[in-house]
Amino acid sequence: MALILRDWPPYRIFWSSATFAFKALFSWLRPAMWLTQLLVLPLFQMAFFVYLSRFVNPGTTGVAFIAVGNALQVASFSSIFAVCNLTSEEKWQGTLTPLIVTPANRFPLFVGRAMFQILNSIATIVVGFFYASVVFGVDMSRTDFVALSVVILVTCLAMTGFGLMLGSVGLYMRTAMIIANIFLFIGLLVCGVNFPVTVLPTWLQPVSYAIPMTYGTMAARAAVEGSSLVLLAPVILQEIAAGAISVFVGYLLFLGFEALARRKGTFEEF
Amino acid sequence: MYHSSKGILRKNRQVVEAVKGISFDVEFGELFGLVGPNGAGKTTTIKMLTTLLTPTSGAAKVLGFDIVKDVVEIRRRIGIIFGGERGLYYRVSGRENLRYFADLYSVPLSKRERRLSELLETVGLSDRADDKVESYSRGMKQRLHIAKGLVNDPELIFMDEPTIGLDPQAARDTRAMIKQLVQKGKTILLTTHYMFEADELCHRIGVISNGEIAALDTPEGLKRFVKDITVIEVEAFGVVDADIASLRRQPDVKAVSANLEGERQTVRIQTPKGSEFIPEVTKVLSGAKIFDIRTKEPTLEDAYLRLVT
Amino acid sequence: MTRLQTFWGSFRMSLLHFFADPQWIIPNIIAPFVFTIVALILFRDVSGSVALYAVLGGGMMGMWGNTLYGSGFALAFDRWNGTIEYVLGTPSRLVWIIAGRSASNAVLGLANALAIVLVVAIGYGAFFAIADPILFLLALVLTLTSLSALGVVFCSAFLLSRSAQVMTNGLEMPIYVASGSMFPVALLPFWSHPLSFSLGPTWGIDAMRYAADATYVGLGFGYWTDVLVVLASAIVYLTIGFWLFIVVENKVRRDASLTEY
Repeated sequence: MALILRDWPPYRIFWSSATFAFKALFSWLRPAMWLTQLLVLPLFQMAFFVYLSRFVNPGTTGVAFIAVGNALQVASFSSIFAVCNLTSEEKWQGTLTPLIVTPANRFPLFVGRAMFQILNSIATIVVGFFYASVVFGVDMSRTDFVALSVVILVTCLAMTGFGLMLGSVGLYMRTAMIIANIFLFIGLLVCGVNFPVTVLPTWLQPVSYAIPMTYGTMAARAAVEGSSLVLLAPVILQEIAAGAISVFVGYLLFLGFEALARRKGTFEEF
Repeated sequence: MYHSSKGILRKNRQVVEAVKGISFDVEFGELFGLVGPNGAGKTTTIKMLTTLLTPTSGAAKVLGFDIVKDVVEIRRRIGIIFGGERGLYYRVSGRENLRYFADLYSVPLSKRERRLSELLETVGLSDRADDKVESYSRGMKQRLHIAKGLVNDPELIFMDEPTIGLDPQAARDTRAMIKQLVQKGKTILLTTHYMFEADELCHRIGVISNGEIAALDTPEGLKRFVKDITVIEVEAFGVVDADIASLRRQPDVKAVSANLEGERQTVRIQTPKGSEFIPEVTKVLSGAKIFDIRTKEPTLEDAYLRLVT
Repeated sequence: MTRLQTFWGSFRMSLLHFFADPQWIIPNIIAPFVFTIVALILFRDVSGSVALYAVLGGGMMGMWGNTLYGSGFALAFDRWNGTIEYVLGTPSRLVWIIAGRSASNAVLGLANALAIVLVVAIGYGAFFAIADPILFLLALVLTLTSLSALGVVFCSAFLLSRSAQVMTNGLEMPIYVASGSMFPVALLPFWSHPLSFSLGPTWGIDAMRYAADATYVGLGFGYWTDVLVVLASAIVYLTIGFWLFIVVENKVRRDASLTEY
């Protein structure tokens, strides 16, 4: 099977894209630094909101809500920020043009480069749940780990798809960095990470439901409380849909950008 | 020596000896050239002399100051011009770039603006001085580099491949500016890949190979290395690397250089045999289509080739 | 005089770059702004001067983020631009070049902080009153100075490391937590208190709260102790910064790592 796949062009493109992006990342991000990002960021972001909630509400009832929400949200650094910046980095380094002129099928090329960030997101969330449980005392004794694992996987895939869409938007801008920063943090406010979405003004809630993470936080809390995969299926399916729509829109934007840039000769403008 | 590394988890660290043993003097008012192949140690040498790198061993003095102990004194008195696209602040104007470096070189405020205007005039950028550098052509950026390297009115100027990547007109203008600087009494240490440029500009040339000086002399003096040979120049198509290797193995061949790219390939063979060697050459290159074959007097480039291969 | 010229030239160049691409301020507004709104929503059922913690804290975060980000990035930016060798090759001491950029980023950070405070005040109606404006201003200026000086220290570390941006991102959150930007330091585990107290911003924000609210208790040492500690921290950071830059400059000259990025 592996031998067959190896010679199938889309698979080759996907795999090459993925491994190259992995090597390119580590040419500048030393493993020690990556580990710091993986281990330090989730802890301190979670700590910030947990201590804030303890200040506001001295009992511990709010802590589990916030810790679980943040355990999931910290994946945004990989799935949104890093993925969104992939094409911007190509532009900055002048490698976008050589990439575009290859005859490679765009879809595996587009998606393959985000592969490592999916794995990175999963690792970050796992670390986040470790902190939630061990450091901040979230009770995981009733957790349905199968359901939680599925929720984590789906959230990472869907949010990476969302990141790819943002990256495509970023192609039309001088740099995707601005949009990456906005969406890196906006999740804290609108995705039910620190408080229920229903607390937000009605006009803002549609934004929440357009972002896959919102479904992820709901489902993750339910899984920690013991809800099974069957019970969570509707929410998970909604998250998959949100992610799929993001990837589709992102892919269309990517193709649109390529056509526009070829007409105007502006691949490398930044 | 510097460290380089490969690998992600286990870095294989290598120690690279970029410059092994180099020794030379440059006179005031001289235009001294350093030539050599890629990786020979030219840029490393310049970086040491401009105090950007500390040598692992040995000593050097620039304008009488030690390159390790008297860093600030040297930096005050020298100008640095490295070629290439980078090294300028693209999002601000040419004038602002110069103004910033004028401040970093502590050009007196009373003189600063006048000097900026004069420099911009000298390099022909007055009318574009207030445009962002990102809108400049390659040649304009190089001219701005030159202005930047002169902002502190240095006695000694280091230029690392100043014409690299420039179109012929821009390169010619740059060489003209360099000659004018020497006429004004500046001392220049220049590195270049282009032998004809070194021949045209330099009073003396040092040839670096593998981190060491292979020869040091005037251009005419260096050409004496090849006075005993004739160059057979071949224009052909279909020459392969094996043919070049075969030519090099011939006992009467001193050196071979080849440009095998494109449809008109050029091969230059140095031999003491002169035109008598032409039949041998055509025999080796029998698989290729030869358009032209002629003998030539050896140039500085041929002398350079002898020294570095 | 030459140091001042270097400082001012760098300050000016940094501002010119900001005005060439002002959208780069957005990343430094977004996080503190979002954190402030989240805090205000979490505080929604609490009475009392929640704004003093949430809004002042958010403003401070906006200021710190810009200072750290701007200073940390200052040399990385030169590296990417290819100008670092030219900058290092001038007779100006690197510490004054970076100090100028740090100061510029601190001023932009202040503007950032004001923007956040104003937007939240107008949009959310969350205002905090300032009991003693002069003391508040003094504490603010000293905190800004301490932050700039801290930026100078970070900058030298970033000159040694390829991953400047990652380190900057990694540092912001720990400092927001450890300095008690939006909640009292007393809530943190006792073993982390020495770290909190070693940071100038911890004392700076405490001093500002004292000046804003006459009933504030805080760290318990009073306004003037806080202000003296902030001043001392600025002096310590600058001293370390000076020393580190000499060490770093010698090191990058020895191992040719100046242009690596």
